[in-house]
Amino acid sequence: MRRFIFVFMLLLLSAAAFAVDDARFQARYNDLGVRVQCACGCGQALIQCNHVGCTYSDNMIRQLRSTVTNFSNDEDVLNWFRRQYGSTVVTEPSTHGFELTIWVVPPVLGAAAILLLSFLVRRWRLRAALAAPMAGDARLTEFRSRARMETEL
Amino acid sequence: MPLIGSFCLLLALSLSLYCFVAGIIALVNRHPAALRLGETARRAGMATFIATAVAAAALVWAAMNNDYSLAYILHHTNRALPTPYKIAALWSGQEGSLLFWALLLSAYGFVLRWRHTVDRKLYAYASVVLSGIQIFFLLLVNFAGNPFGVMDSVRADGFGLNPLLQYPEMVIHPPMLYLGYVGMAVPFAFGLAALIMKYPGEKWIQITRRWTMVAWLFLTVGIFLGAHWAYGVLGWGGYWGWDPVENASFLPWLSATAFLHSVMMQEKRGMMKVWNVWLIFVTFLLSILGTFLTRSGIVSSVHAFAQSSIGAWFAWMLGISFVVCLFFFLKNRSHLQSENKLESLVSRESSFMFNNLVLLAACFAVLWGTLFPIISEWVRGFKITVGPPFFNKVMIPVGLFLVFLTAVGPLLAWRKTSLASMKRNFAIPAVVALIVAVVCFVTFKPWQDIAHFYSMMSLSLSALVIATVTLEFYRGGRVLQGKLNTNLFGAMYWLTRRNTRRYGGYIVHFGVVVIFIGLAGAAFNQDKEQEMGQGDKLVVGHYELVGQKYTDDDTPNYESQSAILDVYKDGQFVRTLYPELRAYKASQQPDHVVAIRSTPLEDLYVVYEGRNPDTDRPIIKAFVNPLVSWLWIGVLITALGTGIALVPNAAQIKSPVTVPAMVPSDSRSAALGGLGATR
Repeated sequence: MRRFIFVFMLLLLSAAAFAVDDARFQARYNDLGVRVQCACGCGQALIQCNHVGCTYSDNMIRQLRSTVTNFSNDEDVLNWFRRQYGSTVVTEPSTHGFELTIWVVPPVLGAAAILLLSFLVRRWRLRAALAAPMAGDARLTEFRSRARMETEL
Repeated sequence: MPLIGSFCLLLALSLSLYCFVAGIIALVNRHPAALRLGETARRAGMATFIATAVAAAALVWAAMNNDYSLAYILHHTNRALPTPYKIAALWSGQEGSLLFWALLLSAYGFVLRWRHTVDRKLYAYASVVLSGIQIFFLLLVNFAGNPFGVMDSVRADGFGLNPLLQYPEMVIHPPMLYLGYVGMAVPFAFGLAALIMKYPGEKWIQITRRWTMVAWLFLTVGIFLGAHWAYGVLGWGGYWGWDPVENASFLPWLSATAFLHSVMMQEKRGMMKVWNVWLIFVTFLLSILGTFLTRSGIVSSVHAFAQSSIGAWFAWMLGISFVVCLFFFLKNRSHLQSENKLESLVSRESSFMFNNLVLLAACFAVLWGTLFPIISEWVRGFKITVGPPFFNKVMIPVGLFLVFLTAVGPLLAWRKTSLASMKRNFAIPAVVALIVAVVCFVTFKPWQDIAHFYSMMSLSLSALVIATVTLEFYRGGRVLQGKLNTNLFGAMYWLTRRNTRRYGGYIVHFGVVVIFIGLAGAAFNQDKEQEMGQGDKLVVGHYELVGQKYTDDDTPNYESQSAILDVYKDGQFVRTLYPELRAYKASQQPDHVVAIRSTPLEDLYVVYEGRNPDTDRPIIKAFVNPLVSWLWIGVLITALGTGIALVPNAAQIKSPVTVPAMVPSDSRSAALGGLGATR
């Protein structure tokens, strides 16, 4: 009985491992399949190319399946396609070399803009605190009308 | 007709030139006769519209009468083409679409000059700027892409319209998009005019805002009609592919959206004047840049029919426009001093500032991704492709942050927000968003897939926005309810009528989050493709498709193969779908007619892909796309909100007939001003 349970557990574990492997393969296939475009010129992702009689997609999909199986690293799969079909076949720029700049520039500029804004606000607040206190009834009337305008009352 | 058309185009160009030159002389000259000269310039500008309209009508007339002596008509129509598509031929090709641009620009110019009494001097300056742009388009249409070119010999039938354009949306999508693009020239003209003449006060910005909203509305509707067309025609199950042409329309939309927000800072607090002027300039320049990118062919696009040699003209136009803007900015920048400074990072002003930064960051990211293949070619000698994976990775987090700001911004006070006020305003929306987040976390399992995580965030933040918008209406409605002695919904109606801009804006925000709800569904798309004979079954999601029959048809315009498929959902018959594959006779090009069963929860999207050449069996591809219909509903809500924001406030409409002084004891009437009369 114990042996039977042991064999059963072993089979269950193997099935689970296969299922996990299969799910991982499918996830990588789906992910990489939209990062490579069909070389037929339709401009569509490889696994979305829907042209009947397309002379590229069937073969490329087979190649995608085999490269996903053979290479554990996604970048190796994409590089294989770049070597085979040229650099334009991959729709996602790589994360090294010159192509890294496409990823780095937008967040760096965004962060710089936010830092600059924070710096300016601090400077303006400091200047406002140092400014002379307001005085005079005429100016108060002006401020009241501005407050009304700003609070939309 | 070709003669009339060509003559009218030359006449329109002459009138525009006169409007430009005489307009400038009238503005710089102080002689009393200058006023009369300015008036002739204005009338010449208005007459440009009539001349351009006659030229456009001549082209449409030629299309309707199958005049294949015209090269343009020969290449874009054929005898069997249905009438609406013959009219649409006006904007279906390069030369016609340039004429259409010129027509729309002259129409905007006509309205602008018609309304010159609002502010004669400002409108005179704006009219000159607009005529400068008009000259560019009329030069193009006269000398670079004349639609009235005549053939040496006349053929019996035309080559037909691109099959992808033979779709109902295509009759209205380009006009909407062009109205948006061209419309951005009007705020640009006002912005530049105000800068040139050092316009005192902020009235010009109010005038500009309204024009920008109109153009923004058209651009929004145009973009989404394009998305709907892509969804219904291209047969890949999606609606947005980050193609350079799509990006080109999205760029001015982003900067115009930023302007529509930051303009409030200038109106309320006299801030961000330099920023606003440059946002207007950038929006117009992006419209030209987008056209340059797609028409020049320097970036690859699926919209290949739009490519030609006129890119150089647009490059010159872009350069000249930029130099003119920069010159007048440097000359008159002292006029753009801010009256106030930002005082706190937690305030309405700072939320607008962040909103602007994020929108411009998004604009830059899209532009950067679109231009990077060219930069790569310059630097390394070969092109790369930048497609949806890049744009999705960059733009989804940016979009989610914008939704967050959409929720937070309107609840912050001007100048500075106290902690107590934040707690009071945010408690209920935060709880609602948290509940949605927990439900999504349990059902979506976001740790398994980043797309599920984004979907969860999108729905939670959308809930946050909906809760804040609802609360704003509820609180405002409650205040008015007692005063007007009406029910809550009636009070909300009057609340919106009293401040159409603010509450119209909230409705726009609501529409935008409904669009985000639609986008969130994309994480759960499913698809399946298989060969299907009669009686075969295809299962996708909880749908089962059964092949009933496969038929062929032959019409004067096209031949088609179609499938008749019965659809079952959870075992229950729901309806029959008829996906089709057409081959247009004139152009010999294929086209999918997708069958869609749309429900609020999901779309069943079925494509007949043709027959397998080896087995001769039909291939069917089916998608289940959750929540897609909310995209289109969201656009309708956004358009409604923009329309409301464009309507003048009720109190302003009725103010001439209200006499609050006559009933001083009635505090209600006094408080409500004109509202008492409107009721």
